[in-house]
Amino acid sequence: MFDLARIATTLSTWWWLLLCLSFLFYIGLDGADLGAGVFALFAKDEQERAAIMASMAGVWDANETWLVVAGGVIFGAFPLVYGSTFNYLLIPLAFALWGIISRAIAFEFHGHATRSKKSWGLAFALGSLLAPFGAGVALGATLQGFPMQHGIALEGVAAAHASAFDAIPHFSGGPFSFLSPFSIWTGIGAVIAGGLAGGLYLCARFDHEDPIYKRAVKWTNLFSLLALGAIVITLIWSYAIFPWVSAKWTGPYWWVWLIWILFILFFAYKSMMAHSSRQDFAALLWGEGVVALMWFAMWATMFPYIVPETWTIAQAANPTDSIAVFTLFMTGFFPIMIGYNAYQIWVFRGRTTKMAAYSGH
Amino acid sequence: MHILYTPLTIGMAWILFALEVAWLRTGNERWYRLERFFEKIFIINFGAGVATGVTMEMAFGILYGPFSQAVGPFFGNILGFETITAFMYEAGFIGLMIFGWGKIGKGMHLFSTFNVGLSSTLSAFWILVANSWMQTPDGIFLKHGLFEVKNWWSAIFNENCIWGFPHMWVATIELALFVTVGASAWFILKNRNADLFTKILRPALLALLIVTPAQIWLGDGLGRTVAQTQPTSLAAMEGHYRTYLPDGKVDTGWHIIAFPNAQNTGNVFAITIPHVLSMLETHTMNGVVPGMDQFPAKDRPDVWVPFYSFRIMVTIGFFLFFVALWGNWLRLTGKLNATDLRKRPWFLRTVVFSAFLPYLAVWCGWWTREVGRQPWLVNGLMRTYQGVSHMTVGQEVFWWVGYIIFELTVWSGSWYFFSRVIAKGTDGIPHSDTLFHQDTGGKDGGEKAGGGLVKPTFAKPTLDKNV
Repeated sequence: MFDLARIATTLSTWWWLLLCLSFLFYIGLDGADLGAGVFALFAKDEQERAAIMASMAGVWDANETWLVVAGGVIFGAFPLVYGSTFNYLLIPLAFALWGIISRAIAFEFHGHATRSKKSWGLAFALGSLLAPFGAGVALGATLQGFPMQHGIALEGVAAAHASAFDAIPHFSGGPFSFLSPFSIWTGIGAVIAGGLAGGLYLCARFDHEDPIYKRAVKWTNLFSLLALGAIVITLIWSYAIFPWVSAKWTGPYWWVWLIWILFILFFAYKSMMAHSSRQDFAALLWGEGVVALMWFAMWATMFPYIVPETWTIAQAANPTDSIAVFTLFMTGFFPIMIGYNAYQIWVFRGRTTKMAAYSGH
Repeated sequence: MHILYTPLTIGMAWILFALEVAWLRTGNERWYRLERFFEKIFIINFGAGVATGVTMEMAFGILYGPFSQAVGPFFGNILGFETITAFMYEAGFIGLMIFGWGKIGKGMHLFSTFNVGLSSTLSAFWILVANSWMQTPDGIFLKHGLFEVKNWWSAIFNENCIWGFPHMWVATIELALFVTVGASAWFILKNRNADLFTKILRPALLALLIVTPAQIWLGDGLGRTVAQTQPTSLAAMEGHYRTYLPDGKVDTGWHIIAFPNAQNTGNVFAITIPHVLSMLETHTMNGVVPGMDQFPAKDRPDVWVPFYSFRIMVTIGFFLFFVALWGNWLRLTGKLNATDLRKRPWFLRTVVFSAFLPYLAVWCGWWTREVGRQPWLVNGLMRTYQGVSHMTVGQEVFWWVGYIIFELTVWSGSWYFFSRVIAKGTDGIPHSDTLFHQDTGGKDGGEKAGGGLVKPTFAKPTLDKNV
């Protein structure tokens, strides 16, 4: 006999890893786009903004879609989390969403507009700021866990509600449950991280002689310092307020975490060195490596929870046969998606200049 | 609002693919120019479609939290399929299709265009599977508050989906074709590039001659499925309250106009033709069609919306068939050339007007479908109030205000830039010869397209100040 429970656990853990990967692609790829957008907030004129948009014209959509893929994976493999996340994180996610939509729209409309060009440029830049902030707040709030209870959250509704659907815990907090100093801080942290990624990205995409390149270099220097500070603050803060974090980090495998931190420091060092010697693409890759290492560390810290202290991976997962079907049909698409996304980035990889503005298509 | 953009994207992708094939096979520059022009309309829609689509994905979680949790084993899977096989797939190739001109080879570009078409069709398929399943939830059983799947095959290919998906897909093709011919007719009317746009009118009208009647036939098929699986929805669409007349005979009357009463128990006023309803739904003269009186009041949907939106959709369907016949009659009599067409401004105006009608039809169709299913979220299994998130008033106001502002901005922006692209016309499109340079081995200082320092290979991209 198969041990069905074990298969389910294995498969759901597999999807948890793929979810981690989707989010990582999103943060790594679109993080750079968003950061470049934050940079564009301080652009000297509309032509600079247009050039920054043009530099990502062919790829931003695919980059952003990794977020939608992550959403799809949550809905497909962990619907119980999907249904409660959005209740809890309505406000920060709505802000992130507004940011993402403004950007998407601004991309299309900036090229076509004449008089309203400035406002679309601003929508692009502000959207790029709002999206990582909202997402960062949501992430911080997620780390705090969801307030959940069985049955229906609001009194009075419960009576009218059939009991058939009460077996699943529902969100029971208020609209501002997500708000805390820590979640605000993670929002700011996300903007800083995005700003750094954006700076590295712009350095890699623009001609060395271009005014955008020159300013992006300074911007990157500033943001790498900010980012280092932000990492230290976040680590200490998480350690202080989350018992599950401190338990894991100082547990029997403390040396793994120590080695991990050394790796992160090494990657960060390589990135800064590459940046200062104008090996821009290498700097970007090392920088993305830092993001990946930290992201994996965070997920490893949360294991076996998918939402800390609220949903374990196994609790939140779909019934065995659903998750098996999902695995069977969808896993194979991941290498394909990564493949064509990579090809696409390859096609649009050339350096560009301020003159090459995003003008129609 | 999402449904206003995506159907055009889905249908138009295939038209673009057809144009690209025509261009590559015949080498006729006109097909290329047409493709590039309609591509602009396509991309505006695509942006709006993605933006509103992401909003929708989130809206499931935000507004229908308990629903999202309960239907996860099936519905969540299907939406996961959609994002992975279709959404991401499309986003990957659309960048290559739109910005790849001159950077990738012709074959690769054609492949990208094809994939955009295929993936958007897949996307429509999965969405229709999910939505149809809410109409006819097959292959599942309820366990611990979750809809677990018993039979994937019958859950995916549920009765409603078998007719519903073709009906929707053909609707996207019909919509895209009418937008294409509508825009073309506008140009001929204004006598701009009239010859160029007349050229696309021929194949498009021929395609419409097949598509418009096929759509009516598919609609009839879907209607009968609805009659069998969702009698309340059908009764609402037809304002059909009484199964039997007071004298015991079957009520076979079909209402042209009906005013349902406030208690939702009968019509205050109706204009009725006998036998037509039975003919439509059972294809017999006196077939029994269950009326609303067969169902308890708490299971009855509202009548106003499905009744009238259904009628608008059907009327438009027949009108568009008539337009297709008219256009093809002109074609047969040899009047389909720029000079003769300009002597028939009313035909051109009708065609321009027809470009807007499929939008209305699609919207009305969707309203019919969604309101007709009420008060069920998952037909017969989960009531709407069981599936919605229980939010405070403040949260709801916050969400709706933000949502509406955004949808309206997207909508008005789309139309504004839509009209602008059309006003600009095809004049700015560079000749296709400028696209694919022979590799000169980097003699002119630049490396080959796509690598290293990119020299603009065509229509040097600059900030266009006089757009």
